[in-house]
Amino acid sequence: MIQLIHVSKQYDQRPALSDVTLEIGKGEFVLLMGPSGAGKSTLLRMLIGAERPDGGQIFVHQKNVTTLKPSDIPYLRRKVGTVFQDFRLLPKKPVFDNVALPLLVQGVSSADIRRKVTEALRAVGVEHKRDQLPAGLSTGEQQRVCIARAIVNGPVVLLADEPTGNLDPTLTAEIIELFKLINARGTTVVVATHDPLVMAQVNRRVLILSQGRLLPEQRVMG
Amino acid sequence: MVAILTTAFTLACVGIFLLLYVNLRAAAGWLQDDIRIMVYLDDRLASDSIADVEQDLRSDRAVASLLFISKEQALGEFKAQFPSESHLLEGLGQNPLPASFVVALSPSFRSPDAVKRWAERVRQVAGVSKVDYNQDWIDALATVIRSIELVAIGIGVILSGAAVTIIANTIRLTLFARRDEIAILRLIGATTSFIRIPYLLEGAVLGALGSALSLVMLKLMYELFRQQMRTTGRFSGLDNLMAFFPSSVCFALIAVGMGLGFAGSFVSIRRFGEAKA
Repeated sequence: MIQLIHVSKQYDQRPALSDVTLEIGKGEFVLLMGPSGAGKSTLLRMLIGAERPDGGQIFVHQKNVTTLKPSDIPYLRRKVGTVFQDFRLLPKKPVFDNVALPLLVQGVSSADIRRKVTEALRAVGVEHKRDQLPAGLSTGEQQRVCIARAIVNGPVVLLADEPTGNLDPTLTAEIIELFKLINARGTTVVVATHDPLVMAQVNRRVLILSQGRLLPEQRVMG
Repeated sequence: MVAILTTAFTLACVGIFLLLYVNLRAAAGWLQDDIRIMVYLDDRLASDSIADVEQDLRSDRAVASLLFISKEQALGEFKAQFPSESHLLEGLGQNPLPASFVVALSPSFRSPDAVKRWAERVRQVAGVSKVDYNQDWIDALATVIRSIELVAIGIGVILSGAAVTIIANTIRLTLFARRDEIAILRLIGATTSFIRIPYLLEGAVLGALGSALSLVMLKLMYELFRQQMRTTGRFSGLDNLMAFFPSSVCFALIAVGMGLGFAGSFVSIRRFGEAKA
């Protein structure tokens, strides 16, 4: 599902990623760990074509992201759901409209939008908040809405960049359970985090980045 | 709203020059229509030959109308126009005034260059001694029309550029205010056209509304000016000759405004897109 072959990236002569090679299979749940500045966000941004590597090849869902034309990148992003630490919700739009956004840009019919958004909101447990503005939600609810937006169009991959960075331990556990549920339905999930609490809750494959280099793999038992 | 008003004022300035140009051009056209060319005939020409010249002129497709003035008629006219000077000609013993044709040219041959070419050609016709028309007046008129044309084009280009810049800046501010929203749309898979089209339409609507408002302002100024001319009594009769843009030109100007708005928006979006890339 995801493959990186000798991928490198530098910012102002400072290496962000150095010769990273990895493979993530369909339906896997992978934790991408490492301290701030290790290159986790750079790697995730490369997977959705928001950054270009200086060297190497990246494949997502059988598409070579490194050679993808700019006009084809939106179509890749429709297959990949993204969850952000700062949620990135539109503050002036109610929850329903925020979650409907990925369907709207694909030209999905209103009836299908209503059905799919309702399903996604129910899946993350915030269906009753559908008419509220993001500012009226708790941080945990905002993150759930962000996850609902990421899964509403049934992506094959779900990428989450520090999704629990703003949450307390109880909410972190809830969000991780949600990711496990999504993964159980067949979606490949990649969660980038530096939070040891997350690692403790996930009995899955862990990739560790340190100063842009991928360390030997380990499996953590939760 | 501020953008629409600023665009309207800018386009109204273009409109003032355009209106001035259209009216002066129309006035120049009327003056040009009034030009009559005098084709003087050789004094020794027999009446048969005069008929030949007349036939020549009548068969010329450039000639719209023709009036023959005999030597006697010319003298009569001179006496009628200058009664106190008529004794000057009596002293000469014989009538020194030549017979002539007064020629009016067809509309498509009334441009200064066409008149000049036609006169040069007719000068060569046997029996024609002189072709006279007000060369200086026609040349001056042509120069004035060309100058107005150049000024109108120059000012039009500069102010159109200003309108594009105003709309581009308005759209840039909108884009800047919505940069987070645009970034989110990009991340969730919105295509470039999905993001751009609303802003392009916004620019086009701004331009069209600005242009429509500028026409309303121009019409008000135009009516006020005519009213002023009527009440003061200056240039009486001229107010009837003045004309506002016909509705087809008004629609064309709104379309131009729409195009300028679209262009302004396009410039902004391109720059914004490049900055984000």
